[in-house]
Parts: sequence; structure tokens; C-alpha cells
Amino acid sequence: MDTPQQLAEVLTSLRVGNQSFLVQFYEQNRTLFARWARRQHQLEPPAAHELLRTVLVEFYDQVADGRLTKVPDNVRAYVYGLADEQVRAARTTARLPAHESGRRQHLLALFRTLGLDCQKMLMYFYFRGYHFEKMAGKMGFANANVARMQKSACLRKLYELRLRAAV
Amino acid sequence: MPLPAPDLRLYLEELERFADGQLSAAEQEAFETRLETDPALYQAYQQYEQLTADLRWVAGHETLCQRLLALDQRLDQRQLALSRVRRRQREQQRRWGVLVGGVLLALLGLWLMWRPAAPSAANSWNRYYQPEAGLSDSVVREGKRPLLAEAMRLYREGQYPPALQALQRIPTNAIGQDTLTYYNGIFLLSQDDPEQIQAAQPFLRRVATQASSPLAGRARYHLGMAYWRNQQTTAARNTLRAVSNDPRNPYQEAARRVLRSDVLKE
Repeated sequence: MDTPQQLAEVLTSLRVGNQSFLVQFYEQNRTLFARWARRQHQLEPPAAHELLRTVLVEFYDQVADGRLTKVPDNVRAYVYGLADEQVRAARTTARLPAHESGRRQHLLALFRTLGLDCQKMLMYFYFRGYHFEKMAGKMGFANANVARMQKSACLRKLYELRLRAAV
Repeated sequence: MPLPAPDLRLYLEELERFADGQLSAAEQEAFETRLETDPALYQAYQQYEQLTADLRWVAGHETLCQRLLALDQRLDQRQLALSRVRRRQREQQRRWGVLVGGVLLALLGLWLMWRPAAPSAANSWNRYYQPEAGLSDSVVREGKRPLLAEAMRLYREGQYPPALQALQRIPTNAIGQDTLTYYNGIFLLSQDDPEQIQAAQPFLRRVATQASSPLAGRARYHLGMAYWRNQQTTAARNTLRAVSNDPRNPYQEAARRVLRSDVLKE
């Protein structure tokens, strides 16, 4: 990343769901990061890759939540800092229960228990903004109406999981 | 006091239809009126909005996770494929190296086996040098000059040093001086030794310069050949050229043969 203007554009595009900046960042920095993580934290490449993925998702969450309102001048340094923090936290103490207790984190955990097709459909609709016709095409449904009913069933299932977990 | 959270399932279908824009104009109008008048529906609507907002966050989070994971697998596969390609290239290069090396070795072997043999000095000498036949028995008359006969016999048998010794024991009044000098030169030249060949030159030169001696022409030929044997090519060429120009010289043809060949080229 170069200019402050470009950095601001990154933030805007991440907020509207354009994740390509982070995907590109991962592609370009994976090997370099793995070398750094091996030297700094004695992590094997697969573990380092996982750490970078976690950190980038955290970065994205911060932007999406509004916790991060300004993209750091040096994104790489910021990401490496997050990774450093993450490794140290994992070494000193277990994950904070408060982290788990967040409403969205809770929903995320429930979401992951859904079937893969349901996850995919809800992601297509609520994140990518596909209309029902496109979704039907992607999922191999007969028509948009089937896609709408399937999406509805998945949302209901997720809601019921949340109800059951709250009891 | 806020109402307890209603069970969303009762409203979910119409909330979704409303949110997804599936209602007709009249239905939408009716739904909006109910939203303003029915607190339970309104609360369900609020709850629904929060759920879908959370779901949008979850979906974004999960999409990125999955995209990164898929990219990770793709990069791993690419890396694997690249390393496989590199390994294959290295193996291929090694195989080619071995093949080329083998072919070169085979070619070298074939060349060593079948290379045209360079004419050695000894081969050229044997090919072009016409040795002196020696004096015939009728000329020697053994009864009168036994030492000369002995020397000639030894010379013809190829025993040059004993032949030379026998020659040197012959009294000077028994044979002409030029003949003695000539054969001294011949016996020395016949020995396969550079020093002896060098030593033959003064003898042969002495006879060659005696214009009155019948052996002068023959001595000139052997002198020219002695020069050649000692790698004095210019002197050899000049001397042999004189022989080849002399029609009375018995070695004229032999000298011409040497001059025609490229053995005297510098």
C-alpha cells in the first residue's frame, strides 16, 4: 500500500465487503510471514499460515465492527503486531471467555454447526448479496422460489439453534 | 417496561418476505401499517433486523476465512507443483548431462581408436631414406681386405657399431681415403642415435665437397638425409635439391621423392 488515499479506499472497500485487499495481502505475504513466524515464534509453515489467516480475519472483523476506523500507515507492521499479540496471548493464558460471549461470536459458533449448503446459501445472500435467481444457479436449484424457500429454512434453523442455546 | 422478546418463528416468513422485497405493493402497505400498530410485530422486526445484521457479519467473517483457506490450499498446490516441475527439470538436465557426457566419451573413444596416425619421424625416415647398399663382395675381394669385408658384412647385418670398429681398423693404404670417410659417415648415420647422426655429418660433408670423388654425389644425398634426421630442414632441403638436380646421382629419384613429400616443410 502506498498513499493515505489508497489506504482510505481499502477501508471503504472492506466495509462494503470487498475482501480482495486481504486476499491479495495473504497471497503476497504468506511465504514471508511464515519465515518471520518461524524465526520469531518457532512456528512451522502450516501453523504460520493459519496464524496469518486468523489475524487477517481479525483485521477484517475490526473494520467490519467499526473498531478500526483508520487503516494503519503500515498494514504489514500492524498485521505482524496482531500476530505477535495473538501468539503471546495463546502462550500466557487461555482465550478470554468474554471473547466467546460476544453475541456475534456466539452466532458464528452456531453458524458453523449448520450444514455446508446452508452456510453457503446464507453467505451468498447476506454477504455477497446474490439475488435468488443467481443463488439458484449457484446451488443448482430449479428456480428462484426454491432458493428463497431454502434460504428461509436455513435462517429458521439458525434461529432455532440460537433459541435452543439460550435455554 | 419492554415486552419479552417474541418468538421470531411466528413472524419469520412475513418478515423475510418484507425484507427480501417479495411483498406486493398492497401487502407491503398493509405490513407497514401493522408494524406501526402491533408492538409485538415491531419487536419481532427489530429482532429480525439485529439477527440479519449479525448474520451479515458472520457471513463476511466466514467468507473471508474460507477464501483464505482455499487460497492457502491453492498456494500449497502451486508450490508443490512448482517444486515437482523443478525436480523434474533437474532430473531431465542430469539425464541429458549424462547422455551428452556419454556421447562425448564415446566420440572421444572412437576418435582415439580411429584417429589418423600422425606420421612419426621414424616412419617417415624408413619410408623415404634409401640406405647405402655397401660394397659388393667382388669389389671388396675378401682375401685381400678381410677387415673391409668384415665391416661390410656387419653393416649389412645391421650391426653398425661393430661394423664401424672394423672399418676404423682398416689401414689407410688398403682403401681410398674418400671411401673410408664415406662409410664412416654411412655407418654413423645408420645408427639410430642423434649424436651419431650428428657425428656422421662432417664425414659425409667432407666427401660431398670432393668434386673429384665418385662418391661425392652419394655422400651429398646421405648428408641431406642426415640434416633432415637432425631437423635441419633448410640445409636438408638445399642439399637434397642439389641431388635432385644432378642426373648422374643414383639417389636423384630418392631425393625428389623426399622433396615432393611434405616432410621437409617447416
